[in-house]
Amino acid sequence: MSASLADLRAALALTIVGQEGVIEALLLALLGNGHVLLEGPPGLAKTLACRSLAAALEGEFKRIQFTPDLLPSDIVGTRVFDQRESAFATVLGPIFANVVLADEINRAPAKVQSALLEAMQERQVTIGPQSYALPDPFVVMATMNPLDSEGTYALPIAQMDRFLMKVNVGYPSPAEELRILDRFAVADTQPVRSVAALDDVRAWREQAHAVHIDEKLKRYMVDLVTITRRADGVRVRAHSDEALRASDLIDYGASPRATLALAFLARGRALLEGRDFALPDDVRAVAAHALRHRIGFNYRLVTEGVSADRVIDAMIASIPAP
Amino acid sequence: MAARAAAAIALAAALALAAGTAAGQSLARLTVRSFALTSDTLHPRVDEPFHLIVTLRVREREMQIANLDLPLLADVELLGDERQTVSGSGGTLYRETITVVAHRSGPLAIAPATLQATDARDGRAKEWYTNGLTIVVGGAGTSALRSGAAELLARALGVARMLVWALGIAVVVIAVVMLLRRRRRAVAAAPAPPPAPPPIVSRSRRQRLDDALLVLRAERTRAAAVAVRGAVWKMIGANDGATLGDVLRRRDSFVPETRELLIALERSAFTYDDDLQPAIQDACFALERAMETVP
Repeated sequence: MSASLADLRAALALTIVGQEGVIEALLLALLGNGHVLLEGPPGLAKTLACRSLAAALEGEFKRIQFTPDLLPSDIVGTRVFDQRESAFATVLGPIFANVVLADEINRAPAKVQSALLEAMQERQVTIGPQSYALPDPFVVMATMNPLDSEGTYALPIAQMDRFLMKVNVGYPSPAEELRILDRFAVADTQPVRSVAALDDVRAWREQAHAVHIDEKLKRYMVDLVTITRRADGVRVRAHSDEALRASDLIDYGASPRATLALAFLARGRALLEGRDFALPDDVRAVAAHALRHRIGFNYRLVTEGVSADRVIDAMIASIPAP
Repeated sequence: MAARAAAAIALAAALALAAGTAAGQSLARLTVRSFALTSDTLHPRVDEPFHLIVTLRVREREMQIANLDLPLLADVELLGDERQTVSGSGGTLYRETITVVAHRSGPLAIAPATLQATDARDGRAKEWYTNGLTIVVGGAGTSALRSGAAELLARALGVARMLVWALGIAVVVIAVVMLLRRRRRAVAAAPAPPPAPPPIVSRSRRQRLDDALLVLRAERTRAAAVAVRGAVWKMIGANDGATLGDVLRRRDSFVPETRELLIALERSAFTYDDDLQPAIQDACFALERAMETVP
């Protein structure tokens, strides 16, 4: 079964140049039955990655561009009056797909965000008197553009917490960009071939759920989350070269949902690596993804010129692996 | 730590069993000349391995010594154990070197080793004890040690003074013995001198791997696997708290057999219970292969 996972990864890599982090995030979300928040500039193959994943799984893909005038019904669906039948009929929204790309989620107002996040959590949508289950597997990949914050609606921490992971997407390397030129500038790209079925995804999820996590690793995960709440002993170098206490930059630490997310992600990574037991490397590799959007940083982070990821990396490094 | 201590106790007991014979077996007839417990240092540092040495000299020529119980090492982590028996016309010298490491600073009491045998001089079953040892483990932040440093210094000066006196007396005694031996040599050939104890040298990489293999074969448990993993990581200079990925990126880990060993030990430390024994078996094979690559 892990051979099929390798096939899926290879199929995605055939279409998407570089961006291994995005591909791995998508696969981990699939295995962990969760959703991904991607932050990065436009044009980094986020849409292509989602579309390719859906195609490789014979699943359905939908993209929703979030705008300030979007309504909840534009996402979940609505009831329309059918004059010929003289009755109301339900039209399901674009959220009914296996892989949904919610592009620039912070451009829509809070009620639209809430509608999406509620559907993500409940995995069902209520339209009028009736509830509709969302398809399984169901993965939402939401993007945020960090460069352009005018007219945006920041996601509250409580809603961000519902994403299994947040991944920062960076620019490709010059070598990768050359490969992008070779692959996309000359001819039409080859469509991604289907390498697995949706049933395979459900089987992989069961396998991921059975991946063993040792007691030492469980304690390590709890320590990693706890340090975000009591980071007095962690020092971070500020722009002025002053050593700051990490706790002075944090208003509140990660929730217990972060510990669960760490476990889901570590299990998924172990399965991707072909193991049925997790290692400290798995936990450390996914720790920043699980914590990044669950920590409330205060204004000093900006005024001291420290990046959130540097604080998170310092906290992770302060906990010795078992 | 408690798990490691428990493992150390269990392993010490297992090694004691291996060194000795099953209960109820008849005791060997021995003329015990000396039976001592020493350490290569009385002031080891935290997380730095050191050696405890049990030395037994008997008059008889014995191929192996049975019913010798090692001290229970509850407060230190056992890393390995090496036995050596040298027998000749002058008798038998049995020497057991136990490699241990302490993870806490402060004084450490090591209980005596014991030997059960029939005294060849009177035919009675007896039990012999070595001396006990008190070792002071030093380490960063040992405030108690720092505060007592002046007292220790004063004691050390006193001990040094006594040693100078003892040395003087010993020189006189040795001179007299040499004189007597020369006279005796003129009459008859002198008996072969007892075999000198091998010098204590720092453990080579091969010896450490051998120790690790011994521990893992004697104690096929998760705790032993974790302890061996820690010892091998220290052997190649990896830091505590690193992950396998960090360790594999080290130059020392580029050797395929070392990589294989590190991966096998990682598996035995973290795999599920049903896979533990096969994982430990693989780790033992990997240790054997790694030993072949070490000169």
